[in-house]
Amino acid sequence: MEQIKIKIDGKEIVGNKGETILQIAMNNGIEIPNLCYHSELKLYGACGLCVVEAEGIPKLLRACATVASDGMDIHTDTPRVVKARRVAIELIMSDHEGDCKGPCVLNCPAHTDAQDYVKKIAEGDDREAVRIIKEKVPIPASIGRVCPHPCETHCRRALVEEPLSIAYLKAFAADNDLKSDNPYVPEKKEATNKKVAIIGGGPAGLAAAYRLAVGGHDVTVYDMMEEMGGMLRYGIPEYRLPKAVLAQETKAIENLGVTYKNGVKLGKDITLKELRDNNDAVLVAVGAWKGSGVYCPGEDKEGVLSGIDFLREVNQGARPDLGKNVIVVGGGNTAMDACRTAKRCGAENVYVVYRRTREEAPAEDLEITEAIEEGVEFKFLTNPAEILGDGKVEQVKLQIMELGEPDESGRRRPVPVEGKFETIDADTVIAAIGQKCLPDGLDDIELTKKGTVVADEQSALTNLDGVFAAGDATNRGASIAIDAIAEGNRAAEAIELYLAGKPLEFYEPYVSETEKTAEDFADREKLPRAVMAVEDPKQRATNFDSVIKGFTDEQARAEAKRCLECGCHDYHDCKLIRYAQAEPVDPHRLDGKKHECYKEQCLVTIERDQGKCMLCNQCVRTCKERIGEGLLGLVGRGFKTVIKPEFEGTDAIAVCKDCHQCADVCPTGALKILS
Amino acid sequence: MRVVIGEGSCGVAAGAAKVHEALDALLTGNENFEIGSTGCIGMCFLEPIVDLYDGDKLARRLVHVSADNAQAIYDAANTGDLSKVDDITIKPEDEEFLNGQTRIALRHCGLIDPTSLNDYRAADGYEGLQKVLNNMSPEDVIEEIKTSGLAGRGGAGFPTWFKWNAARQSESEEKYLICNADEGDPGAFMDRAVIESDPHNLIEGMLIGAYAIGATEMIVYVRAEYPLAIKHLEEAMKQAREANLLGKNILGTDFSCDMRIKAGAGAFVCGEETALIESLEGKRGMPRLKPPFPAQVGYMNEPSNINNVETFANVAWIMNNGGEKFAAMGTEDSKGTKVFALTGKIRKGGLVEIPMGKTLRDVIFGIGGGIRDDKEFKAVQMGGPSGGCIPKDLLDTVIDYKALGATGAIMGSGGMVVMDESTCMVGMAKFFLDFTASESCGKCVHCRIGTKRMQEILTRIVNGEGKEGDIELLEDLCTAVKDGALCGLGQTAPNPVLTTIRYFRDEYEAHINEKKCPAKECTALLTYRIDADKCRGCTLCAKKCPVSAIDGERKNPHKIDPEKCIRCGQCIATCKFGAIVCE
Repeated sequence: MEQIKIKIDGKEIVGNKGETILQIAMNNGIEIPNLCYHSELKLYGACGLCVVEAEGIPKLLRACATVASDGMDIHTDTPRVVKARRVAIELIMSDHEGDCKGPCVLNCPAHTDAQDYVKKIAEGDDREAVRIIKEKVPIPASIGRVCPHPCETHCRRALVEEPLSIAYLKAFAADNDLKSDNPYVPEKKEATNKKVAIIGGGPAGLAAAYRLAVGGHDVTVYDMMEEMGGMLRYGIPEYRLPKAVLAQETKAIENLGVTYKNGVKLGKDITLKELRDNNDAVLVAVGAWKGSGVYCPGEDKEGVLSGIDFLREVNQGARPDLGKNVIVVGGGNTAMDACRTAKRCGAENVYVVYRRTREEAPAEDLEITEAIEEGVEFKFLTNPAEILGDGKVEQVKLQIMELGEPDESGRRRPVPVEGKFETIDADTVIAAIGQKCLPDGLDDIELTKKGTVVADEQSALTNLDGVFAAGDATNRGASIAIDAIAEGNRAAEAIELYLAGKPLEFYEPYVSETEKTAEDFADREKLPRAVMAVEDPKQRATNFDSVIKGFTDEQARAEAKRCLECGCHDYHDCKLIRYAQAEPVDPHRLDGKKHECYKEQCLVTIERDQGKCMLCNQCVRTCKERIGEGLLGLVGRGFKTVIKPEFEGTDAIAVCKDCHQCADVCPTGALKILS
Repeated sequence: MRVVIGEGSCGVAAGAAKVHEALDALLTGNENFEIGSTGCIGMCFLEPIVDLYDGDKLARRLVHVSADNAQAIYDAANTGDLSKVDDITIKPEDEEFLNGQTRIALRHCGLIDPTSLNDYRAADGYEGLQKVLNNMSPEDVIEEIKTSGLAGRGGAGFPTWFKWNAARQSESEEKYLICNADEGDPGAFMDRAVIESDPHNLIEGMLIGAYAIGATEMIVYVRAEYPLAIKHLEEAMKQAREANLLGKNILGTDFSCDMRIKAGAGAFVCGEETALIESLEGKRGMPRLKPPFPAQVGYMNEPSNINNVETFANVAWIMNNGGEKFAAMGTEDSKGTKVFALTGKIRKGGLVEIPMGKTLRDVIFGIGGGIRDDKEFKAVQMGGPSGGCIPKDLLDTVIDYKALGATGAIMGSGGMVVMDESTCMVGMAKFFLDFTASESCGKCVHCRIGTKRMQEILTRIVNGEGKEGDIELLEDLCTAVKDGALCGLGQTAPNPVLTTIRYFRDEYEAHINEKKCPAKECTALLTYRIDADKCRGCTLCAKKCPVSAIDGERKNPHKIDPEKCIRCGQCIATCKFGAIVCE
């Protein structure tokens, strides 16, 4: 065959005479974006993405349709080409409706692929589920038990009846994996001989340690406590997270080659300088270990405790005598842990004093319910005005509150009702209003006004070279464990770039999202959420055994099958989203009305999502040209055009050979094979 | 005396059939008279038109004729006293409409009976074909067309000889010559007029083309909405077959070719030649990628040549009179004549055929007589939805492909929509975008979604919801769609937007920034109020208002409730004191 020489972006390449620019480019490994081209189908030319410019030709050329001629000098990235391609993608995206990822994934701070692992659990493949989870969360059995699960809060199954029990499913799969003969162990990369020191073995530090160890780095975790786990070990009570479970998971990380050094406190046993001198990078993940006060007169009296100090002592095995009456101040998860722990320590009357109502309480509602079941009394709309007593706590005077105008957080602001007070007897007051970071040994690290470490939101880098920070100790302060894990992951990623000498650049890829309402799922069968079996409240309030008993196998599989699979099945292979994520595309720049988007079964086992179909026509052409059936066609004109069975016929389903070739060629997730 | 009624679609629409009926009732049986029928003379603004012939001589041209005039016409014709029809005789200034023209494509329109082969032959019919078949080789024909400089009259203006030659060069046993009579531009109707009024001229032109390229079949793709054109063409084809002008061994030569009609379902995009071919093949009308061009791979994958009706309508004349004579008319860039459909706010609307090289002013103010109701000329939209507007400052632009192209408009198929001061240019752009967006075939992204987005932006601008940056966004989209669309429909759809932005940017800005429509056409941006000093409290407007938005006591100034007002403008029309102000 006669050969021709052409230039693409200055690179000289050889092609056969008669081949198109796109064919020659593809054969030479040069990518020219395209959505409607297929080497085995007749040319179509609809998407307009493959445009290129050639010297001496004033018009833009469609690379798929232009036969190259000898000596052609082609450019695929001139401003004109980039702009034309950009507009084409933006136009497609403006008429695209679909969720790349489900709300569960997007709302998880660590972006754990809940949809994916839930699917594996539904299929009975717990090990694979754990593999998927551990891409983001190295301690799933622990996190599954304690996570306030933003994934569930945003789960669309709630539009049908109730959200999926995602967190407990995670714990279920992880427990099964831990119990199995062959628990999942990630494959480690080749050793890099780079040393990383991590200060703090809580969720942030452990997440980073796990990722860095998998990355082949030499990781040492230093922790001031006797065991790893941080607040999971010393903050969360045993009845919520059995320490044996946590220990199994921290051990698994140690088994990856991570060195644990416990009982080593920064600033006392070791200095930041030493760590910096002896390591290639340092991660500060020291957490927030200082409890808050009650912030009212009398808070220095004997019997006033900090919530986290109290919980730590109990978690270390102490069973302090709290007296008969205990008042816990606060409405968050620490307050719940404290009041329920107080009950378990033998206090007769435990009160939770919270200045707003149950609605506004940051604690999980289930925890409030369980606390009430265990006999804790809630005093909503009250606030400690003064702690009374002679040196020791005897009584607490409570200011009665009411809700006023919403504050900047959107919650209605509690305001005192003038002159209205209530006084109750108390032996112990536990303050669970907040946590602070203890800046011991942080040397020259820049701190915020709150006393937390200033770490770059993207790269986790502090003001010191090679020193990164993550978790409760940074920026906005204490948050939930999964947040710390997300930050630990991000810090590990940054450290890897840093160790490789690469710029610390992060790019959160765009994903397409939609809004759904209950109407969208009106046809779904209502399948109630799996109920987790729990110990009897009266019984459980007397000991520290796990409250939850775990899902049965049957329960878990059925629960996992409730998943609506909101995220696109084709996200990882979708060409369109890859183009939409590339610079300088702004997928919403040309937003406007969308064509009618709905899903319908269009062939025997093929479901078409009209919202994702962008009329590349590959399915139509495949069915006609390669299969010889021609069952699909374009219906309607202009903006309303859609692909449907030809002439909107229903007999297409009867004739369809169910070969799935149409779904195979679809460059987006518009065609889904129904199982 | 012969009474000839203009019965093209436009004449019929104006009432010609009723005139014919009334005359029939009076004249039947009277041997002094003959009633005849002809097609469209192009003076739409004067329809129905009745011509009185004394032998071959036009004795009187009667205009705006109604059935009530039948008796007077009968009397005039019967007595020879033509003064009886003085009141309906065409005025000298209206005669100028025809005098200013040079008719080639329309040379027989409105003069001969379209259903009569004899009439056509008596004019100069089939002489060109005879000459070609007797004396010229296909190459000679192509050469003659090349000499004439004839270019595609459908819009693109591509040299006809080049297409014919390419089809001639393609070797195949089957070749097709296709006539594009899918006249889709709103406001263009010259193709319809030619087929209705002079169908044999189309057949003859096509036969010459078929001979030149070696076609084995001729197909006319015509809109099903043109029933009269189809009827006349079918009749003409039958006559031609009977006269050995179609079919085997035409006029006793080796040349054989027959013709058929395909009625199209009226999708605008089927005027694009490759979409037309798809439609002819029974598929959904969607454009194909070019290359390959139809001259190589066309209808049924065979070499095909497609020309517009008006292009073919020139061919027989060129063969008769020689290409040089045709080329003597026009400009360096554009030869011959072009037919324009003059519509809109023009005094004299109709079909106008003029030599290339005249100016827009010649056509609009010369032949067309200027703007109706003594209003100001604002712009003319050339080339329908694919074309662009040309403002007042450029009225002296010469009519040729290049000069019109330089203004951002196009020659197109010859639609000329004239606009006056009361036309909002943003609204005009939106009107054409509404059309192209709904006529997009849906195949390519730029046209399907791009035109929709442009339409949405224009809609929000005319509704007073335009945002800063919208003009730039429109320009951005327009360029991208022009560059990226697959076929002519999408590539030219932005033209009305781009040219209105180019020449009337201030109107866009007024809509967006001041929420005002300078032409006072965009109702969403208008407010009506009553000038208390002028209002006499006559209550007429209040009575007329369909939504009871006007209130006030008799003999006291009235008020309009802006919340209720639907801006229909009826109050302004009603008020005798000019008290109602629209801003």
